Amino acid sequence: MNIWSISLQNIKTKPLYTFLSVLILSLSIALLLGIQQLQWSFKNQITNNLGEIDLVVGAKGSPLQLVLASVLHLDNPTGNISHSEALKIGKNPLVKYSVPISYGDNYKGYRIIGTTHAYTSLYKAEIEKGNQVENAMEVILGNDVALKLNLEIGDSLKSSHGLVQNSFEEHHNLLTVVGILKPTQKVIDRLIVTSLESVWEMHEHEDEENHQENHNNIDHHEKEITSLLINFKSPRALLTFPRRINKQTKMQAALPKYELHKLYEYIGVGFKTISLMAYLILVISGIIIFISLYKMVKERSFDLALFRTYGASNFQLIKMVFYEGLIIVFSSFFLGILLLKVGINTILFFMENNQHQSILQEIPSKNLLQIAILTIIVVVISVSLAIDPIIKMNISTILSNEK
Amino acid sequence: MIQIENLTYQYNKSEPILSFPNITLDKGKNLLILGESGIGKSTLLHLLAGLIKPITGKILINEITLNSLKNNQLDQFRGKNIGLAFQKKYAIESLNLMNNIKARLFFSKVVVSDERIEVLLKQLDLFDLKESKVSELSEGQLQRLSIALSVIHNPQVILADEPTSSLDDKNCKVVIKLLKKHAKQTNANLIVITHDHRIKPFFQNSIKL
Repeated sequence: MNIWSISLQNIKTKPLYTFLSVLILSLSIALLLGIQQLQWSFKNQITNNLGEIDLVVGAKGSPLQLVLASVLHLDNPTGNISHSEALKIGKNPLVKYSVPISYGDNYKGYRIIGTTHAYTSLYKAEIEKGNQVENAMEVILGNDVALKLNLEIGDSLKSSHGLVQNSFEEHHNLLTVVGILKPTQKVIDRLIVTSLESVWEMHEHEDEENHQENHNNIDHHEKEITSLLINFKSPRALLTFPRRINKQTKMQAALPKYELHKLYEYIGVGFKTISLMAYLILVISGIIIFISLYKMVKERSFDLALFRTYGASNFQLIKMVFYEGLIIVFSSFFLGILLLKVGINTILFFMENNQHQSILQEIPSKNLLQIAILTIIVVVISVSLAIDPIIKMNISTILSNEK
Repeated sequence: MIQIENLTYQYNKSEPILSFPNITLDKGKNLLILGESGIGKSTLLHLLAGLIKPITGKILINEITLNSLKNNQLDQFRGKNIGLAFQKKYAIESLNLMNNIKARLFFSKVVVSDERIEVLLKQLDLFDLKESKVSELSEGQLQRLSIALSVIHNPQVILADEPTSSLDDKNCKVVIKLLKKHAKQTNANLIVITHDHRIKPFFQNSIKL
């Protein structure tokens, strides 16, 4: 017998209060953790996935969309640009190196991106197994793709048209896996990388098939790409270079850092609102725990007085109430984390077409600790308020009144 | 030995001061304190148990002056040396019968063999109920549990507050006999306060408040 076991018994005799307290506290913990996880993932996504990309050049349209599509691989591209035009830009002396990317296909929801060898160096991604793409219709896989789809070197895959998984628009050509990349924790982990030629080959084939309906004035022999990712020799180029492209060409230049920062600002308002709500719920759960413990102390003042007649000190009784609070906190914390995992997986399940592009990252233990400490502070405050009657109780009055 | 001198107590400033007669009780002796309700019988018991502190006067239990003890010393002294039995609501509802005994011993910091617990519970006809919830016990069983809780740790002083007022004549006799028997086993002082005159014949020493 010790104070812990008495606290546990006390909690068991009032299941409704305990359930309510644990439920609301775990909800607020799940919400706080969830919002932190989203915020963290988002920030991480921005800083991590920029890699060495200073500028994105693509078809005119929304600059944010261009960045989302070409850097984070989340949205649809704004359109195509001419490969030869892009090559001219790449030769500018201000440009350290440029990477053309072209896409429009996926394999089981993972985007296939046609590019050059320089693409992997944007993310400092190294080959884990096999080798780089040397010929058309060869691919290397991001680490996640290889793991999730259980693909090995030598396997072949049939891509489908579009950026979302479907089976009715499959291409006839087979792509062969020649390499697998090491994990980078960046967007390249979730991509299938091939050469520009592979993408052109697949689509030329298709263009021939759909010649009638797809007919337009574009010269079929002019090669197109989706966008050009640029790394400058010096950041000073950012001042003039984008403006020149926007004015002088049919293409647009977007600064990924700036666009994503803007996006983060927009979303930040939402984050703040939800955070505020989560904190509010945390305070409410603190009040509920206070009320339930306070009621417990009042209702069972005779029990507590009886413990004092057994020789219990005031401090032991305070410990007893405090342990009850702690039991509630710990169960809530674990339930909260569980709720968060279940919640996020449920949301991901319903957003299935985006699951491969999921940007979620595990919440860092620092944030976890912060929220744990915050929760404990709230509970300590509510327990301290609840034990007030214990400190003030006149045992004699309580024992006499109960008769 | 118990000695009380010039004892007074006041619950709060607006209420009258209660004063108590001087009492001296030799080791192992019993005392019945009779008096009508509301004249401070329970208060005297709580003063003796060190649950409240007197305004004036002195309480001496086995050479120790209760007034001189600090709060935590008083808690420890009470836990080890005093056993209180009550009229109603005798035990902790959230714990079962055995856990009530164990919690009592835990707070008293007294170690008692399992055998002693078993023997005591058997004497009081409670052993078969040791896993029962307190709320499942009958009035008589609760009364006996209250006695068990007041004597399990072999206290020097057993204080009983109206232990018989809700009992019929037969059970009244049983309870008093049990209390006296257990006091005798450990050579403890038994002090019973009551307005129940039925138990007067069982005590040699009695005073009226």
